[in-house]
Amino acid sequence: MAQVFWTWVAAFLTLAIFSFLYKDNPFYKFAEHIYVGSSAAFWLVYLWYFDIKPKLIDAWRMNTGLEKYILIIPAILSVFILLRFIRPIAWISRWAIAFTVGMAAGLGITANLQGFLVPQIQATFLPVWVPSHNFWHSLGLSVNNWILVIGTVVTIFYFYFSKEHKGTLGALSRAGIVFIMIAFGASFGYTVMARISLLIGRVYFLIHNWLHIV
Amino acid sequence: MRREVPIAITFFTGVLLVVAFFIPHEPFGSLEQRFNDWYIIVSGFAMILGLDSLLLHHWNKVSRRSQDWFHSLSLILAFFITLFWGFYSGIHTGNFLSAQSTFRKYFYLYVFVPLQATMFSLLAFFIASAAYRAFRADRFEATLLLFSAGIVMLGRVPMGNQVAPWIIGFVLLLFAFLLYSDGRKEVDSLRRALKFGGAILSLLLIYPLAWFFLKYTAATAGWIMNIPQLAAKRGIFIGIALGGIAMSLRIILGIEKTYLR
Repeated sequence: MAQVFWTWVAAFLTLAIFSFLYKDNPFYKFAEHIYVGSSAAFWLVYLWYFDIKPKLIDAWRMNTGLEKYILIIPAILSVFILLRFIRPIAWISRWAIAFTVGMAAGLGITANLQGFLVPQIQATFLPVWVPSHNFWHSLGLSVNNWILVIGTVVTIFYFYFSKEHKGTLGALSRAGIVFIMIAFGASFGYTVMARISLLIGRVYFLIHNWLHIV
Repeated sequence: MRREVPIAITFFTGVLLVVAFFIPHEPFGSLEQRFNDWYIIVSGFAMILGLDSLLLHHWNKVSRRSQDWFHSLSLILAFFITLFWGFYSGIHTGNFLSAQSTFRKYFYLYVFVPLQATMFSLLAFFIASAAYRAFRADRFEATLLLFSAGIVMLGRVPMGNQVAPWIIGFVLLLFAFLLYSDGRKEVDSLRRALKFGGAILSLLLIYPLAWFFLKYTAATAGWIMNIPQLAAKRGIFIGIALGGIAMSLRIILGIEKTYLR
């Protein structure tokens, strides 16, 4: 019985959101507000059970010595961030924000170097000629490598704004836009397919789980 | 005190993380993981600030009985029901998302997932209408965008190989017709011949291109994703990384201080 009731709730909420395709209406607004409210609370509960509780409360209970008492620092910073509610001492919350900003900046250097810059440059150093059992196969693989290297370089040139895009730089940046357009088109097509697959999922729910037509 | 201390905290946190990256030994070795845990804890508490702003905004609408106050009330109720239900299930089962919890069984699967999936699936319609406006084959770059999006969309569905030849055939036929009708109006004989030639070429290309797409739509989509798309993405990623490093340096050195406002 509970299953049937909740299936009807899910179907109502699904149809309420789809009703926006006709025009903005109270059913859509109701479902939208329910979504915002419930997801805000969901992420709060999620943060508590998967982040704050294991990393602060459980860690405090389980650790001893320095490992335990060092947790006072994030606890104090967490309290500091809530001081924003008390106007006369709200400025102290900047200390906690400064820590998160410093953390993001520090990681911004190391993570960008380690995770993006070096691996991407490394992956672009490709062989000019790929040996294979068949000449045409080799040629195909080598041309792909050439396209990858040239495409990467000309895309970077497109985003170089310190000099006017004229002459050689203009030609390179025009070649860059060709690659960028292909990439944007492909990403767009990929996104459309992901959304269509979600749509199929919701329509299947309505006709299978709710209406039992198929 | 109000500006100097935060700048110093930012500087030391950032520098310590950079140092820890280059000295992977104690006491620096575990610093990144430790700071990361602290960052997650502090950001978790920062969410309370956002929630306060959200709830206060809607509570004001309810108390003033302003337009759509009923919806604001439903948001507040949904928030507190979810919150109490989540914590109640968490206390009883240990994990609020475990298979035994009523929160997962009913709220998560029948309210949260449908709402989220439907909200995102709604974008399929808007993205289609955006495509109608953006994909105009009036410029070379726009044509490339249209072409690669079309191939990827067709190449990623099981029936794509069967449908693609018909679409490409129709497009070429349309192209031939447009060139022919343009050529008829043309006064200059050379341009007229070129347009008629283009129309004939479009007609001649129908069969070979339809055959190509019948055989290789999925492979072409894969090639677009793996070669030109990857090349552009790589260039963009390298640019983002360089920009990110430059910005991070500005923040650590105290040149960028907008977060203190």
